Amino acid sequence: MLWYEMSGKDSDVVVSSRIRLARNLTDYPFPGKLDEASAKEIIEKIKEAFEDNSDYTFTDFASVDNIHRLSEAEKHKISPEFASNKTPCALIESDKKQIYIMVLEEDHLRIQSIMSGFSLDEAYGVACEADDLIDSKLKVAYDEKLGYLTHCPTNLGTGMRASVMMFLPALTYARGIRSLQNQLGKIGLTIRGMSGEGSSADGCLYQISNQVTLGTSEKEIIAKLTEICDKIIEQERTLRETLKKDPDGRFTDRIMRSYGTILYATIMDTAEMMKLYADVRLGSVLGIIQGVSPQAIDAMLIHGMPATLMCNVGSDIGAHERDRVRPEAMRRMLGGVGTKSKK
Amino acid sequence: MLCERCKKNEAVVYYSENVNGNKKAFALCEKCAAEAEKNGEINKPDFGKSLFGDSVNNLNSLFGSLFGIPQYQKRELGERKKCSLCGSAFDDIVNEGKPGCPECYHTFGDELSRTISKIHGAATHTGNAPERFRAGRERQRKIEKVEAELKAAVAAEEYERAAELRDCLKMLREEKSGD
Repeated sequence: MLWYEMSGKDSDVVVSSRIRLARNLTDYPFPGKLDEASAKEIIEKIKEAFEDNSDYTFTDFASVDNIHRLSEAEKHKISPEFASNKTPCALIESDKKQIYIMVLEEDHLRIQSIMSGFSLDEAYGVACEADDLIDSKLKVAYDEKLGYLTHCPTNLGTGMRASVMMFLPALTYARGIRSLQNQLGKIGLTIRGMSGEGSSADGCLYQISNQVTLGTSEKEIIAKLTEICDKIIEQERTLRETLKKDPDGRFTDRIMRSYGTILYATIMDTAEMMKLYADVRLGSVLGIIQGVSPQAIDAMLIHGMPATLMCNVGSDIGAHERDRVRPEAMRRMLGGVGTKSKK
Repeated sequence: MLCERCKKNEAVVYYSENVNGNKKAFALCEKCAAEAEKNGEINKPDFGKSLFGDSVNNLNSLFGSLFGIPQYQKRELGERKKCSLCGSAFDDIVNEGKPGCPECYHTFGDELSRTISKIHGAATHTGNAPERFRAGRERQRKIEKVEAELKAAVAAEEYERAAELRDCLKMLREEKSGD
């Protein structure tokens, strides 16, 4: 099962948790400097390392078409950079373990584990399993002072990026993101909007992650990020309670109108979907919209994304055609539920 | 590396700037650099004079755009150190903003160290390590612990305990050199 098909802890605020470890093999240049023969040699070596383990499947990514690659990125299984990689590369994955290993992204290996809700420790545990497997079979580039050697010096040390994708509509409406950005920057963390900085049109989704990777251990990074995210969750929930009081009924009206649009629209572009997603997800977690889980709404968003839509409906459709098939594809993920207002 | 403009002479001036997100970067020869400066394409900073003529060891230009200030650097021609694994010279790393291979971090360790601590604010790894390094790290941790205990024992004038600790330290160090 994919991460967004499962329920997770604190899912009213946290959409997913992700751990990424950057690793490289000794004796080879970094991917940007590799010739084709060496690239293929590395892919083969890494493939062999995972061969005995039936949990993982190997895909030669050169044979995967562009639309399917982009769809994997929309599901956050791989990075957008990896999806557009034109040179030899491969993906080793296990949906069961929720782990995706990009071979020849910016580094030789990018181990990525993504889980539903707030579960950094679990995601880290799974990433470590794959890391240990690689370490037992291949010689990983490491220096006692600098830690894991990575292509970009910003990843040296642990090579770890821990990130939490948060749904922060109340903080966005209260214009609290900018100040959060300033505060996080001071303690080595960073927040960025999923598309476009801090605009409410981006689904109110933000990724919070560690910036510093050297001089601090994996456990310290996770503990710090967990502590801060706990505080953000608390703030967001407090602000939501204020919104929920809704003295003039306009807040509930807005949410139900957005839900109505999703249920009955026949044409919808991605930007509108993002905006409606935020309203409906908030309505669901506050109990204004009943019978729809936040996971179903997250799945709705992913299945409405351009490339995933094209994978499911037809790969040769243009933007206009996509807008026409999107509402139906979104509704399928909501499971045809009814509209029942609490008020 | 050849000058990006005339493609004839060796590039000796490296320039990068980032003004409100508009990034510019050149690697030029002496002649083309002078021309670019005359045309106002290069804003030579006031401190340029002291940097001028500095060797490649000047790290200000590495990841210059990362720090959002114009960087101007001139390198004297001469023997260039190259990485034994990927063949990168330090200029290549400066131009690309990234080393070419893991070995570059050893070859250009001194040149890179300041930038690395600028990025991370600390320069020593404290996290996990591959299996083949774990025993060594564990021993190193023990050595540091015993050293601290020894210092404390001496300060407290517990000489018997200090002698024990000294033996222990000696053993640990011998183990290390026996690797």
